[in-house]
Amino acid sequence: MIVQKYPGADGLAGTTLRINLTTGEIKSLPTDTRLMREWFGGRGAIAKIIYDEVPRDADPLGPKNLFIMSAGVMSGCFIPAGAKIGFGSVSPLTNGHGDSNMGGHLGPTLKFAGYDMVIMSGIAPKPSYLFIDDDVVELRDASQYWGMGSLECEPALKKDLGEDFEIATIGPAAENGILFSCITHDFGRQAGRTGQGAVMGSKKLKAIAVRGTGGIKVHDLAGLTEHVTAIIKRTQTHPNMEPWQKYGTAFFIDWSNKNAVIPTRNFQTTHYENIDGINGEALVEKCLITHKACFGCWMNCGKYTKAVIPGKKTVYLEGPEYETGALCGSNLGMTDINQVAYLNWLLDNVGMDTMSGGGVIAFGMECFQRGLITTDDLEGHTLNWGSVEDAEHFVDMIVNRRGIGDWFAGGTKRAAEKIGRDSIKFAMQVKGQEMSGYDGRHAPGMLLAYMTCDIGAHHNRAWTITVDMAEGRDTVEGRAKVVVYLQHIRPLFDCWCICRLFWGELDIEPEEIVESLNHITGWNIDTAEALKTSEKVWNLVRCHYLERNRANGRTFDYPPARSWEDKIPTGPSAGKGVSKEQVETMLDEYYACRGWDNDGNPSREVLHDLKLDFAADNLEKIGLLGKPLPDGIPAVRGERYKPKAF
Amino acid sequence: MIIFLKAGGQLRTLLKPDIDHYTRRVEIDGLKTVAEILEEIDVNPALVALIHVDGKLKDFSYKPSDGQTITLQPPVSGG
Ligand code: SF4
Repeated sequence: MIVQKYPGADGLAGTTLRINLTTGEIKSLPTDTRLMREWFGGRGAIAKIIYDEVPRDADPLGPKNLFIMSAGVMSGCFIPAGAKIGFGSVSPLTNGHGDSNMGGHLGPTLKFAGYDMVIMSGIAPKPSYLFIDDDVVELRDASQYWGMGSLECEPALKKDLGEDFEIATIGPAAENGILFSCITHDFGRQAGRTGQGAVMGSKKLKAIAVRGTGGIKVHDLAGLTEHVTAIIKRTQTHPNMEPWQKYGTAFFIDWSNKNAVIPTRNFQTTHYENIDGINGEALVEKCLITHKACFGCWMNCGKYTKAVIPGKKTVYLEGPEYETGALCGSNLGMTDINQVAYLNWLLDNVGMDTMSGGGVIAFGMECFQRGLITTDDLEGHTLNWGSVEDAEHFVDMIVNRRGIGDWFAGGTKRAAEKIGRDSIKFAMQVKGQEMSGYDGRHAPGMLLAYMTCDIGAHHNRAWTITVDMAEGRDTVEGRAKVVVYLQHIRPLFDCWCICRLFWGELDIEPEEIVESLNHITGWNIDTAEALKTSEKVWNLVRCHYLERNRANGRTFDYPPARSWEDKIPTGPSAGKGVSKEQVETMLDEYYACRGWDNDGNPSREVLHDLKLDFAADNLEKIGLLGKPLPDGIPAVRGERYKPKAF
Repeated sequence: MIIFLKAGGQLRTLLKPDIDHYTRRVEIDGLKTVAEILEEIDVNPALVALIHVDGKLKDFSYKPSDGQTITLQPPVSGG
């Protein structure tokens, strides 16, 4: 059908689609510019809509959950790396707000087609895909694609529709309700975290195909051009640019190993003896074919590679980047980069987040090491460290939910609940989501960042390891205010749908990013307002989590007991680790810094300051509104870290 | 002998560039390793993830020659 389109405010495409997958009804509406202004689009607008519209008792995989895709206010505009698109829903993995984003070309293309946001509800009666070709929007039969791997479905759809369609797909993992399933686009860009693929699969939505040929009006094109040209010129000579272009993020595997933060064999230790086989140099030497970039980016951190393993078919993929390299490399005891790349391809194709996927396989391997699961549970197979064959068989059991594969389909926390025998101690997750590729036992700020991350353990909201190094890796004091600042500045990129790697790693100051936003939108805001809006999103997500999970926040913020019970056994940080007291101290400091009470519940004062009185009322009704703080709330929450000499 | 150290990000702040936005001129006494040079100018090598010279990777034991530019890359803040 041809849908009605609406003119967009500056920076916006203009139209929002609401699609009821159960009935097939497609409605087009003018994009809510006030929502975009007050919540910054992307992650912020998604969080507000989910908070307002999804009933608190809705099953994340049921018809009442929403599945939202938003391209924010900066994606697709004349700026570097305006390439992102965000997805959001109530997460089946954490049972709280979930969002995840990816680069590539889909975000800009959605806006070029005329749409800022697509909000989907219900469950399609049969496998379907969303077809958007400028004004034409349809739900189409996807029966012939259902069951295909993500990396097979994308070319199949391109063959059928045309190369100029941008495609996002899910794989069999999402079709089978594996809770850490991802969404894949551009053959190797994933919205991996919080199980957004699982929600898409529960809605029987196999793919989204978009072609867009329009443009986006910006507020001050001359000002934007001048401003962005200066940034482009400066970044071209930035010392980080050339190494980034050559090696991408995989090169930090060595650094993480040297500094004893790399997860090794399910976070048992933090230093890996076979790092030379799986590091960035090995990737470039053995697997790299060429470099790959997202829309409007010349940092090309993506690495197009191949994995060659004797006896297996040669596979082609994008990656492994740092996270996959760590979590499917050292964390699984792999010794050769081809093994890591092969597992990367395998998980991409079945449609599992390689981060949670790596964590889940590692947890299974440690359970096998400890005799908590045996070959009897594994259809006669072993599950040994460093074995691709074992990992591949285990993944197949999970994807098809055979035997104990079904237990692991819900991630490490749910699997540990089934396995019992204290295995929860080394299920390396927080709030149900598996940790990223850094061990926080000798980087306490990083541990706090995982503990308090609003979507479950994830590095991307706050990354503090160099701060830990500068301030002392054995002390925890003062870390909270840095984590809070980072939790405000970094998710802004996910609201605006621009790439944090480009804008964050090339010394582009927050003020310059806000200036770009003002040239695009005409909002005329300053950095303080941007940070406060991000803080508002953070607090709303916290309230949403408490409302759905009905207990004091502190109970959800603990890391697995390994984090404080097991000292690091080997490597440069041998004998180091945080204590339970230090974990509690960090939480105390963190809550005070946020204006939350000591139970980890936001106080009315802070929610009022953020114009979230409605959320305060809702928390009060269920007895989870934070108590007033004895000294009132801090005027500004969080503090930017100033690097200091050693 | 004079060498030039170049860095961005958090490292740039510690390096205290004096030639341009990213570059510091450092005078050293004879051949020294990158590790020794960093120690002399009070930059923690733990914050250096990559050492790049003329487009090639080097390690901390590399001894720069007169006039060379050494690019230091900090770790990516969450890859
Ligand atoms: S830096 Fe990497 S992830 Fe970011 S836009 Fe560029 S290529 Fe994409």
